Amino acid sequence: MKKIFLALCIAVAAFTSCQSFIEEWQPVFTFGNPGSDAEFKLYTEAELASVGFKGSFITIGELKAMYKSGGIELLTPDIWIKGQVISTDRTGNIYRELYIQDETGGIDVKIGKSSLYSEFSLGQWVYVYCTGLTLGAYNGMPQLGMEPDNTSTNEYETSYIDVQAIIDQHVFKGAKAAPVAPMAVKESDITAALSKGYTGELWGKLVTISGLKYDNQIFALVYPNPSMDHKSGNPENRVFLSDAGTWGINTWALSKPTYISLIQNGSFDTAQVGSGATRYGPITGRPIDYLAAGRVLDSFGPDADLTYKEIMVKYAVANYVSHYFTLGKTSVQVRTSGYSKFADEKLDERIAGGSSVSITGILSIYSGSAQLSLVDEPSVSVKVE
Amino acid sequence: MFKRYLLALAALLWVAALSAQDYTGGVKGTIVNRNGREPIEKAHITLMQGANQLAVVESAEDGTFEIPNLDNGSYTLVIVAPEFLENTVQFAVNDGYVKNMFNLSLTSLQQVTDVDDDSFAAFDLDDSGYNDNPTILFGSNDVFNNIAGYNFSSVRFRARGYSSESQDVLLAGVRLNDAITGYSPFSLWSGLNEAMRTKETVNGAEVSDYGFGGYNGLTQIFGNATNVRKGLRGSVMTNSQLYRLRLMASYATGLMDNGWALAANISARLGGNDWIDGVYYRSFAYYLAADKVFNRQHKLSLVFFGTPGERGAQNSSTQEVYDLMKDNMYNSNWGYQDGKVRNSRVRKTHEPVAIVRYEFTPSDKVEGGATLLYRFGHNGYTALDWYDAQDPRPDYYRNLPSYFLDLENTDLGRHNDMKYGWAHEVWTHSKDYPHLTHLDWDRLYKVNAEQADGRAKYIQSERSVDQNDFNFSSNVKWRAAQWVTVTGGINARFNRTEYYQKIADLLGAQYFVDIDNFAEREYASQPWKLQNDLLYYLQNGKARELKVGDKYGYDYLAQVRNAGGWANGEFVVDNFSANVGARIGYESFWRHGLVRKGLFPGKPRDAAMAAAWENAGIVATEETSSGASKKAEFLTYAAKLGLNYVIGGNQRVYANVGYFNDAPKFNQVFLSPRTRNGMVDDVETVKTFASDVNWQYSGNGINIRTTAYYTTIKDQSKVMSAYDDLQNAFSNFAITGIDERHMGVELGFKMPTYLVENLSLQGVLSWGEYVYTSNPTMTQTVDNSAETVMDNVLVPYWKSSPVFAKDETGGLPTDINTAQIVRWQKHYVPSTPQLAASLGLAYNYNYWFIDADVEYFDNAYLDMNPLYRTDYATAGPDNMVTPEEIVYMTAQEKFDPAVLVNLSVGKSWYIQRKYQLGFSFNAKNLLNNTSVKTGGYEQTRIVDNTVSKSRYYRFDPKYFYMSGINYMLNIYFRF
Repeated sequence: MKKIFLALCIAVAAFTSCQSFIEEWQPVFTFGNPGSDAEFKLYTEAELASVGFKGSFITIGELKAMYKSGGIELLTPDIWIKGQVISTDRTGNIYRELYIQDETGGIDVKIGKSSLYSEFSLGQWVYVYCTGLTLGAYNGMPQLGMEPDNTSTNEYETSYIDVQAIIDQHVFKGAKAAPVAPMAVKESDITAALSKGYTGELWGKLVTISGLKYDNQIFALVYPNPSMDHKSGNPENRVFLSDAGTWGINTWALSKPTYISLIQNGSFDTAQVGSGATRYGPITGRPIDYLAAGRVLDSFGPDADLTYKEIMVKYAVANYVSHYFTLGKTSVQVRTSGYSKFADEKLDERIAGGSSVSITGILSIYSGSAQLSLVDEPSVSVKVE
Repeated sequence: MFKRYLLALAALLWVAALSAQDYTGGVKGTIVNRNGREPIEKAHITLMQGANQLAVVESAEDGTFEIPNLDNGSYTLVIVAPEFLENTVQFAVNDGYVKNMFNLSLTSLQQVTDVDDDSFAAFDLDDSGYNDNPTILFGSNDVFNNIAGYNFSSVRFRARGYSSESQDVLLAGVRLNDAITGYSPFSLWSGLNEAMRTKETVNGAEVSDYGFGGYNGLTQIFGNATNVRKGLRGSVMTNSQLYRLRLMASYATGLMDNGWALAANISARLGGNDWIDGVYYRSFAYYLAADKVFNRQHKLSLVFFGTPGERGAQNSSTQEVYDLMKDNMYNSNWGYQDGKVRNSRVRKTHEPVAIVRYEFTPSDKVEGGATLLYRFGHNGYTALDWYDAQDPRPDYYRNLPSYFLDLENTDLGRHNDMKYGWAHEVWTHSKDYPHLTHLDWDRLYKVNAEQADGRAKYIQSERSVDQNDFNFSSNVKWRAAQWVTVTGGINARFNRTEYYQKIADLLGAQYFVDIDNFAEREYASQPWKLQNDLLYYLQNGKARELKVGDKYGYDYLAQVRNAGGWANGEFVVDNFSANVGARIGYESFWRHGLVRKGLFPGKPRDAAMAAAWENAGIVATEETSSGASKKAEFLTYAAKLGLNYVIGGNQRVYANVGYFNDAPKFNQVFLSPRTRNGMVDDVETVKTFASDVNWQYSGNGINIRTTAYYTTIKDQSKVMSAYDDLQNAFSNFAITGIDERHMGVELGFKMPTYLVENLSLQGVLSWGEYVYTSNPTMTQTVDNSAETVMDNVLVPYWKSSPVFAKDETGGLPTDINTAQIVRWQKHYVPSTPQLAASLGLAYNYNYWFIDADVEYFDNAYLDMNPLYRTDYATAGPDNMVTPEEIVYMTAQEKFDPAVLVNLSVGKSWYIQRKYQLGFSFNAKNLLNNTSVKTGGYEQTRIVDNTVSKSRYYRFDPKYFYMSGINYMLNIYFRF
């Protein structure tokens, strides 16, 4: 009897102790493997050897010079660059991108993750192992990303580096440093850079441009129903807000509430549906009314009976806005995302009144023109002179 | 002495009422366990003549009973005891003698004695609307419930396909189903198996002495001191499915000579398990109770218990994740912190319950009782929360290989081999990438540490549901005449539940800020709109900086009041009896917001506030987050009729029919209680018609019960909350007008094999069809605004989806206008197998028992998401609906059938006839089948970013799987 009892107790003890149950009682308990520190290690250049660095970097300028139309997969061994972080997605205007720069230029590293500012601080050194990545361009602006998605309709030369395991193999954090001071840029610098195309050293750098004058022009392309096909082949779902002043837009971009309110107060009433040579009529009309224009416009389904204005409100989203400035004779667009936290911030009235301003942001080339992207809030980045 | 006096009184209870005449005849005997002849105390022995219930007595400590004063004639004894099958014995009294039946044996059902209530715990999925609360089948006297209750629990079986809230659970006479959700409240006393062991159960639409009940049975748990088994008992249990170790002890004095009975029960459940990493228990339980029997008329019971503790929760994942991990038990809730496993989702509860019950027996014909019950304390559930940071969930869809490559469907535009390759590498080599395939706590801490201002990016929050639940209930039973017995009762409930969120852990940061992330995405330039606590913002000019323990996000009360009464009359004529009963009640509930949220500030309450708002540019709204909402009020009622015919003492045929008009629950009516007071318009009561016909046989060691049932449930409502890709916003989907039909048969039996002595054959079958019979309507709102996205839109493919005739190529036709619909495929009520069967052998000899069972489960279905079954989802962005889109979007997934094998072995020893030592060992799923889905749900999300822009795609559904082979070893001793 006692033996049986003893045997049973031993059995229970064996079952439980061999499972290290004591530790399992705790809210944090132990088994398996420890996690990885790799993502947060701050490397010195010497330590980079542990991840395959052979001892030499090329400059960002040299990297950009390797670009070929259509994009190029970087197959040459041991291509490394280094640069300091100049972008932050804290304000939401830069999103899923990390800009780094050295003396020879800046480049957009397309790390396809959100809230990168939580992990990369302004001025921090970053080392990028470029071999295996793809150097492409978007409307003429070089970018470092992954091979593009292999689709017949793909219009991009690169895709996001959005697999963490790939990021961990190519992007290494270095020492933290003071934020990079923006470079003061004159009109002649911009025109010189424009003449060099994508190899211009200014592109991708943090700059301050002084003496800018507001052109009282904006550009925005909005899609009445963004879920529907809105490529150029489907102009019935495109509305251009351009070539006619500011369309009542006095904020840096169109957040969803601002967009809705401007539609509803009639600011866009004269905007035409369509693109290129195909223009159907103003947004006060209904898709069904524009059937007579010769295109089949049945894709709005039950919404075809609504006016475009009503459709735009129904499916409203935030939208980009480009504000046009001029520096002497050179046009500079300031393009801002409707999802940025300062999208609803109004342009200083003095700007529209003709005062010259200095604007700090990342300068890029966009289809042969200069474009600025604000990194910080306008209160910091835009100064009326 | 006093105790004997009372026992004698109990034995005589009623008997005096049998007849005004004095007879010398009677019956006596001893109730024993068929296995070992151990006497059974407190067995209920009911004396019947035809359908006429003549007397009820309890067996004494030594198992003996006696019913005197019987006239000559034929009688039936129905013997019922907890954990034993009912037995029916016929006898005759002749020539005025007392018939001695000697030993009357009951067949034990030892295998069910240690089922842990927590094995039925709901999978905690918060807002998803997915509710997986299985019903627990009790019924010490019902062969079907006993076998199904144990054998089917592993697939989370729901009796007759009904939802958990339809099962009435009473504690000390108080209906204790959750006031807000209606769910059965077993977790309140899990770990107190000894204290809560004595139960009385009715099935289906039957009426209990303690409550009117609904259509899915009623379980009354007595829970008082005299119902705890006398003596000192202890057990040590280990199992591989829930926790490593359970230690339990109980002590009860039984009824002492001074009229007191005292009882205590404590337990601890500790450790992890073999199957699901990160799931652990650190749960304790205590129970103290005292009964005072003042005299024959008056008895008072005091009970206080609680189950403080915490347990790590399990999460569901998509099949892609399970396949990549080669583990259907993968749990995405945990990850490594400094090399140690930590679960992000931990249920932390301590909800004590205090009970005072008074029982009054003024005469032999009348007995009654009244209970005051108070439940209070804290119920928290931790979760990760983050502000402007990457989604930390390892199985977030953008981290999975399928997000990068889908060769079968080019429309998804996922064609990146390299990304796919790396994502696949990570997920198939989890040990090399533990920080990517599990939560990476180290990263969360480091991101927080990176923030120069000390503001947390990631925190662990605790979503809290703190109840103050005050109940009164009273019941009475009056044997008005030999042929009529009336039972009835009244009840009232006052429930004030506070829902709020608090900071559980700042993960190394110094503070978190109380603003609404989702609102910030749209209204960043209007900081007042982002405020979770607008008044704090107005007073301080900024949002609150939160420390550990601070409330944030939302804080509101769910206020529930209800009251009602019921009565039931039972009438007996010879072998026939009938009961007619009715219930009426009133229920009201409302929300009361304790903070004013920027998105829904409502209107200023006074001029000063109006001025402050004007200064800050705050725009008043009709919808408000603060103060009391309008009341939802309902008149509820129900009626039942039962007919019962006894055939020859061992058999009875009985039928029940009932109609119920019940109030919906708080969580089915408020659109978005975390943000505002808005309710579903024109919410209806739920109307249920239930009926069943039964045949039961018990006697000669044979127990059989078979039932056919038919039930319709109409006008149910439900609210789900999830992120909607089409709105780019957190959305709420309110669905109203859900109708169901449940019909089927049940069979349970246990009988000797007659081939081998002490070997029984046992089995159960539950075969039903539980279908949706209506297409409900859906209203969609978003958390960020009061605007209605979809207003009462029909969900046309909810109850069924079309099956199209194939075209000439053998595929689906492309044009909806010319497509032929061959038939409509029914859609089924999910989360339980609609066919469940078990067949097994049970061997009992010399205190040994061995049970072996084979089970088969089929016809289980996935929980459906209404959004996928709207015209909106099937038409896609091009608004051109095709048969392919309809079939793809609306069809319901059926789970594969499953076969399981279980084995139980047990033995007990008596030492000096005073002590008992024993063990039971249960092994479940001996075939180690790890591919049995026990439930799952469709995500609400839609893939809208396609190449063609012509249609939508579903996100993959998420599943729960049953554990593979698992064991439970319990060693117990009793003094």
